[in-house]
Amino acid sequence: MTIRHHPSDETLAAYAAGTLDLGRRVVVASHLERCAACRRFVRGAEQVGGVMLEDLSPAPMSEHALARTLARIDREHSRQPAKPVANEPGLPACLKPYEMGRWRWVGPGVEMRPILLPESGNVRVFLLKAGPGTRLPQHTHEGSELTSILVGSFHHEGGDFFAGDFEEADGDVEHRPIVGTDMACICLVALEGQLKLSGFIGALLNPFVRL
Amino acid sequence: MSALRLASPTARNFRTLAPSLRPARARLTDAAMDGKPLATLDYSQMIVAVARQRDRAAFGALFDHFAPRIKAYLLRAGADEGLADELAQEALLAVWRKAETFDAARATAATWIFTIARNLRTDRFRKEWRDVPVGDDLPDAIDEAAAPDESLSEAERGERVRHALRQLPPEQIKVIELSFFEDQPHAEIAQTLGIPLGTVKSRIRIAMAKLRDLVGDLS
Repeated sequence: MTIRHHPSDETLAAYAAGTLDLGRRVVVASHLERCAACRRFVRGAEQVGGVMLEDLSPAPMSEHALARTLARIDREHSRQPAKPVANEPGLPACLKPYEMGRWRWVGPGVEMRPILLPESGNVRVFLLKAGPGTRLPQHTHEGSELTSILVGSFHHEGGDFFAGDFEEADGDVEHRPIVGTDMACICLVALEGQLKLSGFIGALLNPFVRL
Repeated sequence: MSALRLASPTARNFRTLAPSLRPARARLTDAAMDGKPLATLDYSQMIVAVARQRDRAAFGALFDHFAPRIKAYLLRAGADEGLADELAQEALLAVWRKAETFDAARATAATWIFTIARNLRTDRFRKEWRDVPVGDDLPDAIDEAAAPDESLSEAERGERVRHALRQLPPEQIKVIELSFFEDQPHAEIAQTLGIPLGTVKSRIRIAMAKLRDLVGDLS
């Protein structure tokens, strides 16, 4: 399947540079797992990062830093590797290290499941599942909203979005997504700040927005 | 600068302990004498030596070269002295742990180590720490479609990036640098550089277009 909607170059470069917060990084990573073109761009930008790292003037390490690191390597052998949390089949690999909350009902045909990141700051990450044909409430954003479509499709004024596609929205965008009628749609979303919802379903969604 | 580093005790040890890698060091010296930048190939071989022989001398040489640069990177990103030092050690520890996942055909040593430092930065910088493997957000297994052009070695690729970056006008390099190292919102970049916000945005757009050209040339 051809992926038509990608993260902006700026978002991909920020991913490569490490300036994206963890929440947004996870959502971008779920797109990269499927999109060879974006992986190529990110790898190129990482190369730029490698060159820039080489060109930085070195900051002297503390005394015995190497000895301390080697001592830690010696202690490594007894260390148990972190046990990955069980993952549901079909979810992107980038979610593996993180625990998830339960699916919860947020409105007719709509469920969400929070991804429990160690530090999410102002950005919340969650899976959003909406039944076939569901109309999501019209909303605008306080901050940016990144959406990676994992399963199914939706469309709105901005275009048609299928599994593998990526949507980047900011406060200026006002959308009313409608889920494709053939199957449920599951998205991974990183949401900054509050959603501003309007209408009846908006009121229903508020509990999850305040999560 | 590479010639000086060769004279360090660790590099000498490395040479004694890993005679099979001597030709690589010789090439490095030649490159240094020509005034060319470091051949990343040699650091690649050190990572391989760490992976295959758990070679501590090779690790020491990697540490001497990269830890201070990672520390500088983290200082630029806003870490304090203590945190930057600790995370630079952490990054090299990850190099030791993950050495066998390094593939010289896919990345230069500097690029690979940069991604480790970058992931630590996002994971750790925000104070919380979970024992999650770093650098695992781009699984290798699905990367076959992004296989590099075989006619171009990774070292050459790195060289091309370096060359292309040098061609950019200084104000564009500055914007790329700021966005790479300093995690500043556009408004702050505008303040730092003393230029209007609109100019920052258009410079970033141009810089990104350049980056895309550059990456397009590479793939």
